Formats: sequence, structure tokens, C-alpha cells
Amino acid sequence: MIPEDRDALNVLAGEYVLGLLDPAEAREIEAARASNAALRSAIYFWQQRLHPLAALAPPAEPPSDLWSGIAARLDSVPQTGAARWWNRTSPWRWATAGMAALAVALLLYIALSPPSPSYIAMLYAPQEKQASWIATVGHDGLTIRTVAAINPPPGRAFELWAIAPGATPPQALGVIPPDGVLRLGALPSDVRPGTRLAITVEPPGGSPTERATGPVVFVGDVTKM
Amino acid sequence: MGSRTALKRLYELESRRLYGIALRIVGRPEIAADVLQDAFLQVWQNAKNFDPERGAGGAWLTGIVRFRALDAVRKFGREIPSEDPTLGDEVFEPDVIERLDAEAEARALTRCLRRLDDRQRRCVVLAFVDGFSHAEIAERLAAPLGSVKSWVRRGLLALRSCLEA
Repeated sequence: MIPEDRDALNVLAGEYVLGLLDPAEAREIEAARASNAALRSAIYFWQQRLHPLAALAPPAEPPSDLWSGIAARLDSVPQTGAARWWNRTSPWRWATAGMAALAVALLLYIALSPPSPSYIAMLYAPQEKQASWIATVGHDGLTIRTVAAINPPPGRAFELWAIAPGATPPQALGVIPPDGVLRLGALPSDVRPGTRLAITVEPPGGSPTERATGPVVFVGDVTKM
Repeated sequence: MGSRTALKRLYELESRRLYGIALRIVGRPEIAADVLQDAFLQVWQNAKNFDPERGAGGAWLTGIVRFRALDAVRKFGREIPSEDPTLGDEVFEPDVIERLDAEAEARALTRCLRRLDDRQRRCVVLAFVDGFSHAEIAERLAAPLGSVKSWVRRGLLALRSCLEA
């Protein structure tokens, strides 16, 4: 029985995340989480907030043949349930956790989201070490998402451009909607390894000309995965 | 890069950290290795509980490894945990505080753990880091099981309200 009382629910979720529930209770939680948003949210809270404690276990070198053991078993394990969050529109929120966490999230994203993208680009603001946008390019098109909850200046919009290698003029790919995710169904032909993606600040509907009119605020190169 | 390469890179990036977590809980290298292998296969197989909007991937991976390790402890038992009487107190060792202090989330947790009373704090740390059950904590702290359960509950409530403040 999953309690409705907030404190009781938080305690139960905390005990679950700590691993203190007996197996039957834990199974009850796992069965209920899909349909109980309050429970899910309480579990995420503890997973996230207690996670720094995991650093108390000193890292150690696993046996050198462990990866080959995993790789050998991948084919016998079907991938299921991976795509549920893949098509969500809201920006990712993991960027604040730092570069290493971002890399983990990115790799999970790639490992778990069929079909895998063919190319990827991480776009950075000048002087910044942490990517602000991640673009993935696959046979289903290009998707770019903010990973840093960035908004354009008031009354302006971000526009995405592709600059193919060579002296070609930048090609406008589209204005990024306010939710920070732009999807292009058709794969722009100019987007391939070596192409530079850039985001400029433009009037709300995008640049009124064929060229960018505002400053370039983020850039990154397309690379093969 | 295919999914498989991504999983391999993820392994290269995270395996030492995650193996350390498993080893700390199960105490035996060969079992920790099995835990890590099963955890990565689980990641590969079933991502349905990973929600990038709700948390970073690292915490999610840690959760999978910890639960696998706890299952292994239930199945195979564990090495007798160290008799070090300060086990569970290490959040206050200077180098640990330094390690934990790097990020905002860790700072908040350290600050809030400091506000718990000693027994509540040790319950939380022994359970999360060492994978102790209520009974093992009770034995370690030489306290009745009922008291441990109540320290955990009160500790969690106090932690939650401090972390949310």
C-alpha cells in the first residue's frame, strides 16, 4: 500500500532508495511507480539528492576482461522500453551537473535511443567549457536541444545555421522555438562531418535576409559518432 | 557511433566509479564484477526508468549498481564489514568533505547531513554507501532494531525538509 500522506510517501521513497525495504516492499514500489507520479517524483528526489554520497566509495579498477564479458552478452539481451523519453520536447536539465555528468547523459542518450544518430555536434558559447546545445543528426533528420536552459534576449530568437566546409555561405536551418528544441525532419544536405553549426541572435521570425544579422553566440562542429 | 560503442564509452567513463560502489557494498571483487556486468546489461536492456528530465544519468547508474549489489548481498552474503567503529562517520573526514564539496548538490547534502543527529546521519550513510540493512545498522550501532527504523524515518524527514529549504 503506497501512502498518500506526503511525509509517509517521502520516507517510504527514501527507504526504497537507501535499499532498506525488504524485497516484497521494494517490488510493490516498483510496480506502483509507473502509475504514481508523486511516488516517482519522491524517488527521483532521493536518487538525485543522496547521490553525492556515492563518492564515498573509492573508485576501483574492475577486472580487465569485464567489458568483453558484457559485450559478449549484449546480443542475447533485447533492448526494450528505451524510447519513451526520446521524443519529449522539453529541454534537458542535466547540464548543470557538470561536464562529466553531461558526457554520461549524452552517452546514455546515444546508447539507449534507437536509431542511433550518425553525427553529433556540441555547441559552445565562446570561452565556455560546457556545451550549451547538443545536435544529433540521423536518417530521421536533425534535432538540436539546449542542455543549459538558455533563453535568447527579450524580443529576440535563436536561429540555427549550417556552414559547410569551404567558402560556402551559411545556410539558415531554422529558428529555435522557445522550448529550446528544434527538429528538422529532412536531413539538410549541408550537414555532414566538418560542417560548423552556429546559433545567432535574430528578430523573432529569424533573420529577415539570407544572412545572419545578429551576433554568433554558440558554435560547434559536426562530427561522426 | 552505434549504441554499442556508446555503451562501451559509458563503461570506460563510469566503470571505475561504479565498480568502487559495488565493491564497497559486496566486499568481494568477483561478486562486484558480476554486479557491474549485470548492471550494464540492465542499462542496455531496459532504459524505461531513466528519465533525463528528472535527473542526471550518473545518479541513475549509481542506483542500478547499488540495487544489483544489494541483491547480491542478499543472495551471497557479504564479507564481514570492517570493524572500524567510525564507519558511517566519514562524511566528516576532511578529505571526504573536500571531495563532496565540489558541487552545489553535494554542498547542500553535506550541510543538511551535518544537521542530523549522529545516529540518524550514520543510518543514512551506512545504508546508502555500505548497503547495510536495518538489522546490520542495528548491530553496528548496538541499538534496538526499532530505534534504527525510527532514526532512519526521522533522519529522512529532517533531510528532506532541509534539502528543500
